[in-house]
Amino acid sequence: MSIVENHPLTLPPRISEAGVGDYIALLKPRVMSLVVFTALVGLLIAPGHVHPVLAITSILCIAVGAGASGALNMWYDADIDALMSRTAKRPVPTGRVTPQEALAFGLILSFFSVTTLGTLVNWVAGGLLAFTIFFYAVIYTMWLKRWTAQNIVIGGAAGALPPVVAWAAATGSLSAEPIFLFLIIFFWTPPHFWALALFRSDDYARAGVPMLPVVAGPDATRLQILLYTVVLVAVAAAPWALGYFDAIYGVSSLLLGGWMLWLAIDVYRRREGKAAVRAARRLFGFSLLYLFALFAILLLEVVVAAVLAQFA
Amino acid sequence: MDDKEQPPGIVLTEAQKKKRRERSIAIALALGVLVVLFFAVTLVKGPAVLNRPL
Repeated sequence: MSIVENHPLTLPPRISEAGVGDYIALLKPRVMSLVVFTALVGLLIAPGHVHPVLAITSILCIAVGAGASGALNMWYDADIDALMSRTAKRPVPTGRVTPQEALAFGLILSFFSVTTLGTLVNWVAGGLLAFTIFFYAVIYTMWLKRWTAQNIVIGGAAGALPPVVAWAAATGSLSAEPIFLFLIIFFWTPPHFWALALFRSDDYARAGVPMLPVVAGPDATRLQILLYTVVLVAVAAAPWALGYFDAIYGVSSLLLGGWMLWLAIDVYRRREGKAAVRAARRLFGFSLLYLFALFAILLLEVVVAAVLAQFA
Repeated sequence: MDDKEQPPGIVLTEAQKKKRRERSIAIALALGVLVVLFFAVTLVKGPAVLNRPL
């Protein structure tokens, strides 16, 4: 006879206290807002007329698809998110949402966004959206992010695809203009994220994420930021030089690019102390404004042309 | 016959009930938006809703 009774250990089932706000946080709303904006520009500069209902459907699906990528990213990266001050308060590391709930949420939204876009709009756009989600969740999050310092360079392709998806939604095909929009965001991503990584490198080092400042050092990162900014300014002006976008866009892209380049030079020159952190923060902040302004000009031109056409 | 009282099972706290209700409403709204979306696109495209370019 045993004096220890053999009771199986039963823990009470976990009852979720996650609110709607926690699930919205899984969608990375700030990233989503930039995705929606760039996609809107891709949709509106596309030739031909898109019915407003189809336009709203396309943007909604692209936004939900981007949110699904964010949820899948937060599911997979919960361990490193918990170690970084910028991400430690996210719903999964804090335990408000379990990793399984985040995974299910991400997968369900991925399925609905892709099938809805494919069924209601067209399957070129649906396929591209599926590829975007796959690229961000699998290629970037699961593979590149923890493996190489080039993580955000290659992974940046996922963030650059939304205007291409939107163009495909409007036209059912692809052409040079959305490729230019893709290239602008693609070459904008490294200086933007490396500027952030310069003043957050302790965070990334603690989490073991091989961001460029952690692996190659801040000075090598400053040089890379400068080189990528030079390429960015050239790529942003190229559609004007090649006759795809007009002179207002061209001059604006050169002015904005000139200021971005000046800030990148400032980051390259100021390497010590608070001045170096300030320069990196300034470049990070301006890079957001730069991308927004560049796409806003394209949007404004379309709106102005549409208004003038009404009175012509 | 067993006279022992059955345990009450899982009893949700007020906070858990409130959050569950919030989540249920959000799911209902999302499904409602999906229904409206499919209905609206069907009106816009008419019978061509199933005729999609590949």
